[in-house]
Amino acid sequence: MNGAHDLGGMHGLGPINPEPNEPVFHEEWERRMFGLFIATFAGGHFNVDQFRHAIERMNPAHYLDSPYYEHWLNACETLLVEGGALSHKELNEHTSRLEKEAR
Amino acid sequence: MPVLKAEMVEPLTKTGASCRVDAAVAPRFRPGERILVRNINPVHHTRLPRYVRGRHGTVERDHGVFVFPDTSAHGQGHKPQHVYSVRFTGRELWGPQASERDVLYLDLWDDYMDPT
Repeated sequence: MNGAHDLGGMHGLGPINPEPNEPVFHEEWERRMFGLFIATFAGGHFNVDQFRHAIERMNPAHYLDSPYYEHWLNACETLLVEGGALSHKELNEHTSRLEKEAR
Repeated sequence: MPVLKAEMVEPLTKTGASCRVDAAVAPRFRPGERILVRNINPVHHTRLPRYVRGRHGTVERDHGVFVFPDTSAHGQGHKPQHVYSVRFTGRELWGPQASERDVLYLDLWDDYMDPT
């Protein structure tokens, strides 16, 4: 798939600046996302190639403008819904509730 | 449905889940052989970057047999095949302005390449 993820040879994206002493996770939600990935992968909801392809299928503008673990979250949601483990309705209801609680 | 058990976490996080397959599949290429990368533009998943399509390279080493992502991502089976480290010169990929000292190694599946 010729998507926005295939960045090799592209210009204008800025320098690659590896952080000295980079932490494994920058935010607590990233740690939780990693746990969610391990649990859903071990649960047999997808293989690694399906997971990568789900990331490639993200909206290209969103893909380029979001952090690494948000790609993982997007792929998890896509594959759990497509696989029938979760419905769009459940996902939306749960997300709305969390948004309300956060306010 | 399989569930995650505590003892599975450490191996999974330390090494990842390998896509290496224990299958007797004959390699189509040997180290030292010149290859031409196929110019394919599939709408499905592929791990073949755009910038290397249609370019010539040299097989450096054979990594062994692995699951083929292009089929595995779509429930079309593992289609196990050899993966090679393939060497490309900077000039082959980026033209005469590239440094003559630059080379790039890419891991490529059998199905991505043709003999020259």
